Amino acid sequence: MKDIVSVDHLRVEFATDSGPVVGVEDVSFTIAPGETVCVVGESGSGKSVTSLSLMRLVEFGGGTIAAGALRFRREDGTELDVAAASPAVMGEVRGNEIGMIFQEPMTALNPVFTIERQLTDGLMLHKGLSQAQASARALELLKSVRIPEPERRLKQYPHELSGGMRQRVVIAMAMACEPKLLIADEPTTALDVTIQAEILALINRLKRENGMAVLFITHDMAVVAQMADRVVVMYRGKIVETGTVEQIFTAPKEDYTKALLAAVPKLGEMKGKPAPERMRLIGDEATPPRPAKTRKPEVLLEVKHLTTRFPVKGGILRRTTAQVHAVEDISFTLNVGETLALVGESGCGKSSCGRSILRLVKPTSGEVWIGGRDIGALNPHDLRRARADMQMVFQDPFASLNPYRRLKDQVAEPIVNFGLASGAELKARVEQLFDRVHLPRTFMNRFPHELSGGQRQRVAIARALAVNPKLIVADEAVSALDVSVQAQVLNLMMELQEDLGLSYLFISHDMAVVERIAHQVGVMYLGRIVEIGPRAAIFDNPTHSYTRQLLSAVPIADPAKRRFAEDLAFKPIKSPIFPLGHQPAPSVYTEVAPGHFVLKD
Amino acid sequence: MTYVLNRLLSVILTLFLITLVTFAVTNILPGDVAMMIMGTQSNPEALEGLRQSLGLNEPLIVQYGNWIGGLLTGDWGTSLIFKKPIAELLAQKAVASAIIVVMSMTIALALAVPLGVWAAVHRDKWQDTVSSSASLMGVSLPDFFWGIVMILVFARWLGWFPSSGIVEPSEDFLGALRYAFLPSLALGLGLMAHLTRMTRSTMTGILGQEFIRVARAKGLTERTVIWRYALANAIGPVITIAGLQIGYLFGSIIVMESLFGYTGMGWLTYQALLNRDLPLIQATVFVIAAVVMITNLIVDLLYVLIDPRVKLG
Amino acid sequence: MRRFKTTKGLIGIVLLTIIALVAILGPMILPPDAATKMDMLARRSPPTWNHLLGTDQLGRDMLYRVILGARTSLEIAVSAVLMSIVLGLPLGLVSGYFGGWIDNVLMRLVDTLLAFPALLLALTISAVLGPNVQNTIIAIGIAFTPYLARIIRGEALKVAQMPYVEAARASGTTDGMIMLRHVLPNILPAVIVQATISLAFAILAEAGLSFLGLGTQPPAASWGLMIQASRDQLDVAPWTALVPGAAVALTVLGLNMFGDVLRDILDPKSK
Repeated sequence: MKDIVSVDHLRVEFATDSGPVVGVEDVSFTIAPGETVCVVGESGSGKSVTSLSLMRLVEFGGGTIAAGALRFRREDGTELDVAAASPAVMGEVRGNEIGMIFQEPMTALNPVFTIERQLTDGLMLHKGLSQAQASARALELLKSVRIPEPERRLKQYPHELSGGMRQRVVIAMAMACEPKLLIADEPTTALDVTIQAEILALINRLKRENGMAVLFITHDMAVVAQMADRVVVMYRGKIVETGTVEQIFTAPKEDYTKALLAAVPKLGEMKGKPAPERMRLIGDEATPPRPAKTRKPEVLLEVKHLTTRFPVKGGILRRTTAQVHAVEDISFTLNVGETLALVGESGCGKSSCGRSILRLVKPTSGEVWIGGRDIGALNPHDLRRARADMQMVFQDPFASLNPYRRLKDQVAEPIVNFGLASGAELKARVEQLFDRVHLPRTFMNRFPHELSGGQRQRVAIARALAVNPKLIVADEAVSALDVSVQAQVLNLMMELQEDLGLSYLFISHDMAVVERIAHQVGVMYLGRIVEIGPRAAIFDNPTHSYTRQLLSAVPIADPAKRRFAEDLAFKPIKSPIFPLGHQPAPSVYTEVAPGHFVLKD
Repeated sequence: MTYVLNRLLSVILTLFLITLVTFAVTNILPGDVAMMIMGTQSNPEALEGLRQSLGLNEPLIVQYGNWIGGLLTGDWGTSLIFKKPIAELLAQKAVASAIIVVMSMTIALALAVPLGVWAAVHRDKWQDTVSSSASLMGVSLPDFFWGIVMILVFARWLGWFPSSGIVEPSEDFLGALRYAFLPSLALGLGLMAHLTRMTRSTMTGILGQEFIRVARAKGLTERTVIWRYALANAIGPVITIAGLQIGYLFGSIIVMESLFGYTGMGWLTYQALLNRDLPLIQATVFVIAAVVMITNLIVDLLYVLIDPRVKLG
Repeated sequence: MRRFKTTKGLIGIVLLTIIALVAILGPMILPPDAATKMDMLARRSPPTWNHLLGTDQLGRDMLYRVILGARTSLEIAVSAVLMSIVLGLPLGLVSGYFGGWIDNVLMRLVDTLLAFPALLLALTISAVLGPNVQNTIIAIGIAFTPYLARIIRGEALKVAQMPYVEAARASGTTDGMIMLRHVLPNILPAVIVQATISLAFAILAEAGLSFLGLGTQPPAASWGLMIQASRDQLDVAPWTALVPGAAVALTVLGLNMFGDVLRDILDPKSK
């Protein structure tokens, strides 16, 4: 066979307490030498199971290959049926002829071994190198993945490296024996956007240099558009459609594929549109897009020079030795019925900013005015009352609901806290809220574990709406959801905004989503807003260097617009920790266009 | 360096608190101390004499101060029942108990770690079932029961080891070990059962982590994955758990030494409690608590050597 | 192994039910002097039809004594564990939820207590108060409190960091209500598991205390006391030690089995 991999009617089952459960069924596809095949699907689609089967790692997770063949063409030209291979043969293949990288770089390395040891043990095993030869090769590998200061890194331990660097080490480990096939299972999902761009570029370069085939698993259609030669779409353990990347994106055949593509926000498709617009999902064609209500701009939220610093304790008496400048001199306004998106990468302070505004953490200085009231000047009793005006929706739908309380009680909690209703009136109000978020009333008596992630997030939104707030802070509220569910929740949020005149402070790292939903966008870096203005201005005319860096790193869900062929190296993100007493300069902005401000470096 | 200093300060503070608690438990609880020692029917004059000699009529703070002062200067008081200086008694008996503690912990760890790893590797198979059942039984039997069984089997029936008594290690080290063996074995078996379960659950947790999967994906043999990659991560937690058991061990030696007539610290403490020898009670309780705390400190510091993520300072 | 786990759980529950029934019903069914009646003609007799588990050195029937001893031993264990929960739960809850200096101070105290071996603490308290059933309960209860407090504090700390607690705060829920509505139900599984394990230790502790003469005193009958009484008869009448010892072992075994299965059900991560 000329293909390097040929999967043939694969069926994998998992043993559970209630009998065998099918992981994947009737999966067939091929990978030609040197090509990148992306397997894409949402959670539960079976994409990971497929890749783990190819490495016969699925047994360690309780799965069995029940039927089908997994043919792999080895170095020496022979054909190996992985499904029937002995452990000894698999031991030869793994890490040697097939390399694999996983999703979580933070836990992928053994915490008590040095980087050098973890790079060399595979080499010494498969290639019979001596310690000295292996160490030399390890250094080469670190250089090929462009890790800064490679000599020093060899002797370090994993916890001394950042997430992006660890993922590079993992890639180096996988490439060590020059495999002909690299399996990458969601390798960039846990990484920041700029780091993701670097890793994707790295994989592309290594693939070119080594003539390697890549099996790339992801849920992110934009990444697929960037990386794939061919695409395999999976849903609930079965293959839905396969084709070249152009075919899939421009002429999808199956309904599921079409629905999936419709739900993906594409960076750039809001160009020229004046206001946020709901996504046109499959099944929505009947309802025409509603023109946005024009409102008289009225200020709801005013943030003035907000600063929040967290103490770093250390030393003998646990004194404060330094401070994390999480939020530094932030100012902005948000109008009634509008959305301001705060974007940035991890550690930029966007989450802390949201929490500071809601007074879930105490800011160090600055003012927050909501509806004409200075929140910071309120006494604890009035502050508690004021919370009715400002609510929050959190990122993790599984952790933001108490597993032991019924959903109706949790949605009712804010109402009960403020004594706004009771008895039959309370029940009616809760029912209304469930209706509002398009959840059946039968869910009211259920517990969180009975609902899916998207449904739970709707419950969280219902809870946030319970006391008619004016402002909702959505802290990565859709980031943990599957693409199709994310689109539905985004639409719901936009619908609620139109109907109720809600304002959102939308915190996110996803530029494409932000482009959809935001009226105004603020880009954060190291606790400061580096650029803020109307969405169109920020996306069409990014001025600050960081904004430009960020936008250039975002993958676009259109194979005609590929960008990561060359090696990328972005400026590493600095640490916001400063010694005690350090007085940073105040934020000064230039107005490059009406309403569009850029931080002076 | 700051880490070490931190811990030292912490240790001193805790030692101070330990003296407070010891004093509180033995003196502040309801009941007349003199009557506690001599019995409620005693002659009131004799009671008063005792109160004077023990300084019981002074305010509590003063009594406490006197005691602390004594501790710091080396005057640990005189035992009421043994009529000897307490410091001397403690020194004599400490070594004997140390032998038991070290022996039982060694026996326990030597058996528990391999057994626990074995069970974790063969999780959910017959090996795991056998190991788990055996350790479950071991944990459920009281220590002194093991002691009785040891006595019946090894001493009475087989006659290999003495059933009671003790020999000074300075006189006859091997003989001392012989006398210490049965009590240590009895303690060690109970401890081993517990440590096996802990090792198994620690290993199981580690084997479920991502880096194990990555190691397998590199093509490393299962043997390497378990005995190098996984075990290296398990040593730290297991040692910590074993260290925490020292406290439990010190409680158990009280029973075990009495059962075997082995006159070490445990036996001494028991005699003190039985006869309400107040100065001796205070001293032994304090020493045991202090030793437990210092052992935990040592285990913590050891952790710094084992786990590269924990740094000094 | 799954079958083993359910078998283990079943055996545990069955054992515990039998023992609980025996402990509760036994004293009601048996004649009042069953444990103290001395059959002088049949002293130190091994198991016979008259005396199914043999007799001790005073001719008392071992079977009756072990049944009556069950009630005392279990009473003490249950009361002591309840006491440790009543003392330790609020301590751990407040410490874990509020954190900060409250946590530092309280846990410093708890850690100090933890330096004292539980058995030693219980022995000392018992010796100082005067050994009897009531004081044994107090002694064991106080000795176990720090362990429970530490575990509850750990659980409360975890829960306090969960987004749903933050969401409750954002909804205007007061700290007290958060602890009641949100934290308590989520730490309850851990408390139950810990209580079961503590019960096992409490029975062992009572046995140990009574064995050393610092627990229950005659004429009360408890398993530990029975083992103590058997010390001098080991050569001639080993069943006098084995019977109460087996009773303790079976109860503790049942509790451990049950506790294990409970833990697996309530915290799948520990499997």
